[in-house]
Amino acid sequence: MAVSLRALARRALGVQRTPTYYLPWLTLNGLECALILNNVEVRFKPGENQGPYPATVVQLDADGGVVRTSQVSVTDTADAVELSMTPTLRGYGFVTVSTEHLHSDLYVTVADGESYTATHGRAEFVETYPLRVRLLLGALGALLAPLRRTIPAFVRDQYAYAGPDGRSHLLLLNLSNVTNRIRVVAHRDGARGTTRLVAVPPLGARLLDVGTLAPAASGLTPLALRLEGNAWFNLYLVGAGPRDLAGPLSLMHVK
Amino acid sequence: MSSDLSALLSATFYEAGDEHRVELIHQRDRAARRRLASLDLAVYDPEGKNLTAVPLDTHQEILDLGTLVGAVAAGRPRVMVLLDARYEEQIFPYRPHHYGFLHRRGSTTAALYYALNAVLGGVPDRIGATGLNNFETYIFLREAFAERYSVLLGNPARFSTAEAQVTAYYATGRLTQVVALAPKAHREVALTSEHAGERLQRVEIKALFRLASYVVGRRADSGELVLFDHLFSYHR
Repeated sequence: MAVSLRALARRALGVQRTPTYYLPWLTLNGLECALILNNVEVRFKPGENQGPYPATVVQLDADGGVVRTSQVSVTDTADAVELSMTPTLRGYGFVTVSTEHLHSDLYVTVADGESYTATHGRAEFVETYPLRVRLLLGALGALLAPLRRTIPAFVRDQYAYAGPDGRSHLLLLNLSNVTNRIRVVAHRDGARGTTRLVAVPPLGARLLDVGTLAPAASGLTPLALRLEGNAWFNLYLVGAGPRDLAGPLSLMHVK
Repeated sequence: MSSDLSALLSATFYEAGDEHRVELIHQRDRAARRRLASLDLAVYDPEGKNLTAVPLDTHQEILDLGTLVGAVAAGRPRVMVLLDARYEEQIFPYRPHHYGFLHRRGSTTAALYYALNAVLGGVPDRIGATGLNNFETYIFLREAFAERYSVLLGNPARFSTAEAQVTAYYATGRLTQVVALAPKAHREVALTSEHAGERLQRVEIKALFRLASYVVGRRADSGELVLFDHLFSYHR
């Protein structure tokens, strides 16, 4: 029922959903970030296992601006094309890949010169809101912001961990063309804790330090996070070590 | 272990010295909607010997594997942990014990989040997975790092020995290892980073049935984990 109501609301508001494959990218503090584009998973699927597989890759920065657009071609199912991400001042964002021809999980890698780590992207969608809805969401969002509230159109729950050695950040991705005010509430041992409201520009991204949501503790603190956004969004978990964002980082998808 | 539709067996590996947490309920399974009826944890040494099997309190949100497993794993560098759940099927498609957190205590490396292997039941049975889950692959970055790669394999079966074929692919060559795992046995299978002057590009695992499988990257100097990921299945 909830899904049907949501679909009806989208129709009434004129919201369009465009299927989109996206991955996060990170180049903070000199980290090297690269995608691995491939189509190996259709290797045994007749009708789809003949290349080449062209794709368009659009790298978006933290404010939603296009950093670079690349045309790539994966020659066959044994090929893997590595595409470096261009560093920017903020050093993070997300990248979209056209997947009319690629039907495999695509990887994003983060390297610190000594080692690398990786995760994969998500085949979801980007929501496009018409102007009147953008104006409405903007006005309501501005009214609610002083109360650290947002329109809870989309809700996600996520566990994250904070500690002096093992640190975490949320890379919040706004998968819409409207400013997305995302409210993050941390719960610890069932008790409600800190609340943050993060405004993410259209098609932009923001990093949120999970450590700022938990009281300082000597050990690792699990937090149950509830995230509410006024438009479609997702997140990646960024793992860090004792040097936090100045050291090596990892990335992990969530559902 | 059961193939009951409302059962899920997940598998991971605990290594001594790690801070290792596993979420017990799924992120979207609100407290009021918890449907987890029972959860048993079992721990196995590399030869498949059962070290402990205990029922767990299903009201917990997070399992601390160091606390639960550390003592029985003492002296062993690694043990396989199986989480056997029974729950009402309304929970699908979201399943319990889905994500884990992993970080070596005192390490300067980044903390890792990862998705636990569902080795029996759960999502694949319920939502019609389109992949072959006993035939998997993973692609590596070609640049050379001070990092060594491997796959962690575990046999969750109760009675059958499993034979797995692990093939590492290079630009033109390949190296294949055949690994036999007794029931509940597990092993880390090292992958050669460079073969005949060519960098490791991809690994493929074939087995007759689903194994617990993770791709691992370790810092060459310390052995600390920097990559811990699931492999990807082929589409049918």
